[in-house]
Amino acid sequence: METTKHEKKMNLGFLAATVSFILFYFAARAALESQGLATSIRVAVALFPVPFYIWFMVAFVRNVRGLDELERKIQLEALALAFPLAMLLIFTLGLMELAVDLPKEDWSYRHIWAMMPVLYFGGIAFARKKYQ
Amino acid sequence: MKNRLRTLRAERNWSQADLAEKLEVSRQTVNAIETEKYDPSLHLAFKTSLLFSKLIEEIFEFSEGETPSS
Repeated sequence: METTKHEKKMNLGFLAATVSFILFYFAARAALESQGLATSIRVAVALFPVPFYIWFMVAFVRNVRGLDELERKIQLEALALAFPLAMLLIFTLGLMELAVDLPKEDWSYRHIWAMMPVLYFGGIAFARKKYQ
Repeated sequence: MKNRLRTLRAERNWSQADLAEKLEVSRQTVNAIETEKYDPSLHLAFKTSLLFSKLIEEIFEFSEGETPSS
């Protein structure tokens, strides 16, 4: 399938949205980890990456819609695997929090969410292997 | 699902990439259909039959009790 001009533009849009979200997320995190900001500013900074994430989500859905039927099936299977695994991770963490004192610096949600893309890419690799 | 895609493609000296381009899918999709790991959608099956000027059942063979490949 030859990559058309429209597809190239879509891929670039997806890449730009992904990079922007990652950059603004880590910028917000760095700002929040430093002290000295007023609470209202801290809340604003914490919410700052949200529009970039929404941009990423829209670009992701557009990207999936532009894929061919097998690749869409692979995406569905990857998400079907990654979503319940992400739930497993979060509820186990929640129960472990009740069971023992987990150090917040290592086990907070700001660390755990980053596991989700790993589960998604693992799901993609697993599903893709099936059709090779 | 068994199919004659590889034979029909070879008769025309087309590579998987050539066929993929004509069907507007990826080469991986053509490969997965040829190796019977993926059953195409009805839309893609019709597109394939039009491309080869053959009936769908002349390309894809369905046997009763068969489960989907994927």
